[in-house]
Amino acid sequence: MVLTMNSALRLLAILLFALLPGAAALHAAPVYELKFATLAPDGTTWVKLLQEWADTVKTESQGRLVFKIYPGGVQGDEPDVLRKIRFGQLHGGAFTGYGIGHIYSPARILELPFLYNDIHEIDYVRERLQPEIEQGYRDNGYELLGWMEVGYVYFFSKQPIAKFDDLKQRRIWYWQGDPLGKAFFDASGLSPVPLSIIDVYTSLSTGMIDTVYAPPLGAIALQWFAKTRYITNVPMANGIGSLVVSRKFFRDLPQDLQKLLKRSGAETGAKLVAANRKDNEESMRLLTERGMVLVEGSDDLKSDSIRAMSNRAAHTLMDSGYLPPATVGRVQDWLREYRAAGAGADGAH
Amino acid sequence: MKLLTLFHSTRAAGWLLLPLLLGACSTGQLVVRGTQAILDSGIESMNRETDLQLARAAMPANLKLLEGMLIEDPGNHTLRLYAAEGFHGYSYGFIEAEDRARAAALYRRCYDHAVLALQQDGLTLDPAGASTEALHAAAAKLGERAVPALFWTASCLGKWIDLNRDSVAGIAGLGNAAALMERVLELDDSFYHGGPNLFFGVYYGGRSPLLGGDFARAEQHFRRAAEINGGKLLLVDLLQAEYLYRQQLDRAAFHQTLTAILAAAPDSYPEMALVNAVARQRAGVLLQHEDEWF
Repeated sequence: MVLTMNSALRLLAILLFALLPGAAALHAAPVYELKFATLAPDGTTWVKLLQEWADTVKTESQGRLVFKIYPGGVQGDEPDVLRKIRFGQLHGGAFTGYGIGHIYSPARILELPFLYNDIHEIDYVRERLQPEIEQGYRDNGYELLGWMEVGYVYFFSKQPIAKFDDLKQRRIWYWQGDPLGKAFFDASGLSPVPLSIIDVYTSLSTGMIDTVYAPPLGAIALQWFAKTRYITNVPMANGIGSLVVSRKFFRDLPQDLQKLLKRSGAETGAKLVAANRKDNEESMRLLTERGMVLVEGSDDLKSDSIRAMSNRAAHTLMDSGYLPPATVGRVQDWLREYRAAGAGADGAH
Repeated sequence: MKLLTLFHSTRAAGWLLLPLLLGACSTGQLVVRGTQAILDSGIESMNRETDLQLARAAMPANLKLLEGMLIEDPGNHTLRLYAAEGFHGYSYGFIEAEDRARAAALYRRCYDHAVLALQQDGLTLDPAGASTEALHAAAAKLGERAVPALFWTASCLGKWIDLNRDSVAGIAGLGNAAALMERVLELDDSFYHGGPNLFFGVYYGGRSPLLGGDFARAEQHFRRAAEINGGKLLLVDLLQAEYLYRQQLDRAAFHQTLTAILAAAPDSYPEMALVNAVARQRAGVLLQHEDEWF
């Protein structure tokens, strides 16, 4: 009888507890798992910063939003990851310009070769373009969480490239399937060798190509530096990058978690930019220390004719619909405005 | 009589020569060289150890003894390589899973010992800082005698880089480690239980093809390493699961391989019982990460 009484009391207590609103929230709060992919290998600065982001989000959401990070390209390259996001197998990722071209191609105006004089011009334009980019991502099913950059891209070659004519003698790689690269080379009158990035290292060994372009850190990570001897000290473009999540995943989150993800994503993007700039500087120093020769480009690699080439590439991309004319026009206006104000006079990269 | 006289005179000559020999070698060096046979047996005994706790407790004292002997006899090529092998094994087997920073420092020590042996074999370049091209050319001139020093230099450098992937200088050195190991592969691909094949299994299997990985080549190297060991060295399967299957995102193969390692009999390969015991322990640790990685 006592036992029955006890059981009844326990049952009542459980029922009452379950009816309390706080208790219900405690038990029913769903846990959202964000499956996030990146090409950056595990253990690198990039993945460490992404892990830090994941830890922050987990702590601040009290475990309601957790990341599952897939580093090192285990989920495939960027188009593969985007496909998996569309199928709901993944929810987000860190993308370079190549992947961003599949999300919202107009954003790539920020990495059009030889359009900008320095990083300040890029920052000035990006700040103004940001709302448009965010909306563009959103319209195509993605939410932009953080902006990042891959770094300034340089030519790495087996023979020195000091002037534009030197480029004509070289067998230059271009990333097969990348409309931006194609438009640039078409506009230059050069005939590059289209190859998947996977085949670049071997093709440098066999001599099929003798010139590649990459940020210094990229040239080290891909070991391309070991197959080349010269770096042309003319930064062509600052490679862009984004931290994104699918709109569907983002929309399903409660508002407080949406805010948390946006805020912490932007902070992580800023940290990635700073870390990447530092790593690229260190990479350049290390490469020259290891015997690579920095070739100072002559004026024709920095002159109006190169600008004209950049404009021709922009026109090709506008004709194909890759870059909307209105966006290109706005960027050109902002650049004129910035240059007229004299703010870009320092010319520092 | 004549014979006896000859014997006495020879002995006398021997005694006379002794001070000259002692002049060339210190007493410490003589003692060190005299104990080398004991060290050989000690290493064999350690490799046969099945009790991980005992091995873990015994190794630091042995490593310090080795380093002490090297103070007495710094040019001892064999001892340098024993020290490199010992630091590599101790770090991989007992430290790496729980303290990566300390493990990296121990791999660095392993590298420092191996490089000194490699210098004695004729490599004058700095293997971590030289250009890969120059290192390739220099390694091509080295013969079979240099195989152990090439192998341990490349292995220790490779592991140090693996644990320092956030270091630009580290990543830049990866091609150099591979250049040295390629020479080992050419000279003796079965060295240290197929170690060069294990190195390249990890080298090609642990990276996305975008970043230089090559899964078919990785599989080839793992297969060759297994063949060299008659399929008895569990480390081969462990590394294949840890690097290749993880990179391929092949959860089933990862799980199956590691579970099989855990189930393997501890005495299946007595000569390499310790490495197999380490592989079993590590398989358990890796399985704990399965949900996180796949």
